[in-house]
Amino acid sequence: MRASILKQGHILIASVQGSMSDADLTQLREQLLHGVRRHRSTGVIVDVTLIDVMDSFAARTLRGISQVVKLLGAQVVIVGIQPDVAFAMVQLGLTLEGTTTALDLEDGLAVLQEQLAEGPAADGQ
Amino acid sequence: MARADRKGGALLAEGAPEANEITERELESRKAFLEFRDADIEHLTEINDVARRYADGVIDDFYRHLLSFEETRAFFTDPQVLQRVKGLQKDYFLELTQGKYDLDYAQNRLRIGAIHERAALPVKSYLGMYNFYLRAVAVRLAEAYQKQPKKGWEAFLSLMKLTFLDIGLAIDTYIASRERTIGKQQEAIQELPTPVLPFREGMLLVPIIGLIDSQRARQLTEQLLGAIRSNRAKVVVVDITGVQSVDSRVANHIVQTIEAARLMGARVIIAGVSPEIAQTMVTLGIDLGRILTVGDLQSGIEHAEHLLGYTVVRGGQRVNGAA
Repeated sequence: MRASILKQGHILIASVQGSMSDADLTQLREQLLHGVRRHRSTGVIVDVTLIDVMDSFAARTLRGISQVVKLLGAQVVIVGIQPDVAFAMVQLGLTLEGTTTALDLEDGLAVLQEQLAEGPAADGQ
Repeated sequence: MARADRKGGALLAEGAPEANEITERELESRKAFLEFRDADIEHLTEINDVARRYADGVIDDFYRHLLSFEETRAFFTDPQVLQRVKGLQKDYFLELTQGKYDLDYAQNRLRIGAIHERAALPVKSYLGMYNFYLRAVAVRLAEAYQKQPKKGWEAFLSLMKLTFLDIGLAIDTYIASRERTIGKQQEAIQELPTPVLPFREGMLLVPIIGLIDSQRARQLTEQLLGAIRSNRAKVVVVDITGVQSVDSRVANHIVQTIEAARLMGARVIIAGVSPEIAQTMVTLGIDLGRILTVGDLQSGIEHAEHLLGYTVVRGGQRVNGAA
């Protein structure tokens, strides 16, 4: 397993390792989806700080995770995209449309808390 | 006074390192355009004797004319300089009718042109001097060829072709020098650093001034994205008030930078978009919906403050309110 998933209250935090194969990424998606169901999580943070190359499969998978998790009623924030990775992604047209991004874990948590405070999930608390 | 001396000194300076080069082919094409042919060389060599006879008179008239105007007088305040320049002028005058108009001749003209340019002799004076020359010679040719007016006229036309060849070369040195200056200035503009300034907690201000080319745009991207990470910025205000125009590649690059910043969780506000740049953006079909643009820097900062949740209150009002 190349990604570690931590549970912090209602939030799941997935740290992605430097190099992830397509199978690893697919596995990460399955784990996250099941994790959200099982723990009734309201937010997911995917930390990609260690990724130095983001290919189209990885970008598509991240976007897929974001969309599917949203259908399960939770929010996803992708954090830690490095400057050169970000620019390379844009040049490849991988702009992660419709996903929320933040600088790092700290900012990501802040964004989630803000969103959850005003989102419908907060009403159920 | 010192200024005039320096000018005089420059007039006598040997060699001009920045003198332009001319090729045999270029010289031939210039001659062809002026219809300067072998017959002209003949005409000119035929009047060599006349030129010799009149040289001193023409040169004296010429310098009397130059010294009667303040602008040109400033170049000849030193009598020694004047004497030396007169000698050189006479050499040139005689060279005009010596029948040797090869590459060396042209190089020499370029060198002389460069010396005048360095001495800051205005082009108008340069042209005026040539005009005076031609008129002085025309009068004397008419005198010398009273009995053969056709011959005198032919010689004068040939001389006119040659002097225009010389003028063309001299003016080129002026233009080349200006272009070098412009080139240097453009380099200087392009090397202007683009500072990334932390403006408030979580806010960066990036003022861009001057020309943006691809290289500078790339540099800007690196700096900007790097600064977002190191300053933990959430909003970046890029002020492009001082940018007159961008080409389509650079505009695209900037848009990509904005997208990349978004992936890093930061929003970019472009402030001070000029009508020309706005036009470029629209012509490019760039999706402006995703780019936050405002008219001026003040609106940009206000917008950024709003995004970050800052409220700016005037100090005096706050004191009043608290009281």
